[in-house]
Amino acid sequence: MKKNIAKYYPLVPVLAAYLVMFLMGKNMSGMWQLMAMLAFYCALGQAFNIFLGMTGYVDFGYVAFLGVGTYGMALGITRFASFEGLGIGIIIIGFALALVMATLLSLAVGAVALRLRGAYFAIATIGVNEGFRYLIEGARIWNGSEGIIFMAEMNQAFGRELASALSTFWADVMVFIIAALAALVTIYYMRSKIGYALTALREDEDAAKVMGINVTKYKIIAFITSASFAGLIGATSWAIKTPYVFPPEVFEIHYTVEAIIIVLLGGAGTLLGPVVGGLIYGLSKYWLAVILPGFQLLIFAPLIIIIIIAFPEGVIGLLKARVKGRRLGTFIE
Amino acid sequence: MILEQLAGNLIQGLVLGAIYGMATMGLSLIFGVLKVVNVGHGAFIMVGAFITLWLFTALGINPIFALPFAFAIGLGIGFLFYYMAMQRLIKAPELATLLATFAMGMLLEEIVKLIAGSEFRGYNWAVGKINIGITVLPMTKIYACIGSVLVAVLLYIWFKKTRAGTAMRSVVEDDEGARVCGVNVGSVYALSFAIGIGLTTLSGVLLTMFIPVGINPYMGGGYTLKAFVIAVLGGLASPYGAFFGGLVFGLIENGSYTLFALLPGVEPFALTRFLSFVILLLILLIRPTGLLKAK
Repeated sequence: MKKNIAKYYPLVPVLAAYLVMFLMGKNMSGMWQLMAMLAFYCALGQAFNIFLGMTGYVDFGYVAFLGVGTYGMALGITRFASFEGLGIGIIIIGFALALVMATLLSLAVGAVALRLRGAYFAIATIGVNEGFRYLIEGARIWNGSEGIIFMAEMNQAFGRELASALSTFWADVMVFIIAALAALVTIYYMRSKIGYALTALREDEDAAKVMGINVTKYKIIAFITSASFAGLIGATSWAIKTPYVFPPEVFEIHYTVEAIIIVLLGGAGTLLGPVVGGLIYGLSKYWLAVILPGFQLLIFAPLIIIIIIAFPEGVIGLLKARVKGRRLGTFIE
Repeated sequence: MILEQLAGNLIQGLVLGAIYGMATMGLSLIFGVLKVVNVGHGAFIMVGAFITLWLFTALGINPIFALPFAFAIGLGIGFLFYYMAMQRLIKAPELATLLATFAMGMLLEEIVKLIAGSEFRGYNWAVGKINIGITVLPMTKIYACIGSVLVAVLLYIWFKKTRAGTAMRSVVEDDEGARVCGVNVGSVYALSFAIGIGLTTLSGVLLTMFIPVGINPYMGGGYTLKAFVIAVLGGLASPYGAFFGGLVFGLIENGSYTLFALLPGVEPFALTRFLSFVILLLILLIRPTGLLKAK
């Protein structure tokens, strides 16, 4: 029994980090926005890591899942705002829609892309976000390129006061919860058959196949899990928090890049990595925006190359190798 | 009436397709030899476009003379990037090379943005036009098309007749075998990568001759996706497959635009972009070795 709990010790630093961030944001004046932004990046990294970190496949179209999640919540609010008495239930409908849409899209993309390996997989996914964006704009689905603005529906459904509390406070709280949930799922996968199968396939897919592991099944599990968390993040950070959605914004490949940087910085395939990566990335972005506005990408681009060449294991990957076998080692994963 | 319009657009598509094909040869060359997908492909096209723009607007140099310039600069960037980063990543997992080329593209975009800003630019090189009855072709487009075919032919001769070209083809077939036969695989990698990048920046010049507007640091993103579709059409590893893939793609793009424009209540331009994504997925699903390769 004790051993069973010890398996989950690595969750302690992750959840502690989120708690500290939450309390700092809540109790120190002017810190809430910064902490909310950091939580967004941690959640994004945590969600992306479930697929990229565990399988070693690069999904360049990842932002598409955040995009459809945003649409899910937007549709939920706009279509159900006029129903009396649903109240906060509308948010739940929105989350359900976001989840379903992200899952469906990931099934559709996964059905094609996950049959492909390495480079071919990356090529298949790099167009997903653009493809979906142009489908929405081209066929004028969900208002096409004009997007959806639903501030009025938010006010109608929840009343002005609650609507404003939702977008300025509760949306961020939900991001914290999603980040923590993603961490829980990550450690659960790591410590179960799924994690072992994914590690085997990441190291050598052919060997894993020969050993009788159903690699496709586990790849799909990781892909869908990662995508549905993305959908939830989109539904909160991009829909409830900012009640409008425009196709070019929510399918911008830039966010995939941010997710990649965060996961690599912290350490792909580790539990604590996305938190550390998210914090480093978020803080340096915040700081760079103050001292060198507009130059973030110019600095991050060479940074990616340096990380890949010099320390591909990321911060936590390096730390993990250092503390292996020591007492501290049981807390770092 | 509509058939005439379709025919006219298909001719435009064929001309553009030749340029598209040329613009994808570098991507296929790099994949064929190094087994590396250059995810930053479009950024190198953008560099070529800016070289043309600057030479034309600042020095008044004819875009045709920008071709060797762009090729040389691309070659330089290619060698530099190969020896600084790619060399160390060739044997690393695919993740590493994908991210490195992506970051390289991003770095170029940001450097150009720093120098030129991010507004859209264009230039006007007026050298007359030809009316062929169903459509009007400016001379610049014809020059660009001829240039593309010439470059493809030159590359073909270079591949077949020179020692370096032969060494490259041997590495494409079997890099271990080539090594055993005394080919310096390392330098073949470097040379192929540099030539691949050089061809891509050169194609940026040709593309601006076809479309001399919309030049912007981030213009490459759309071309990256198109280049992937084209490369996959042609079998990904073959520069010639890519050239013919380009012709096919040019026809599909312009043909489908004409047809989508007939539908009420849609944005035809966005739908052609969506269609190219669907084609990409379909080919990858049904025939990842490419449509044009009879295997």
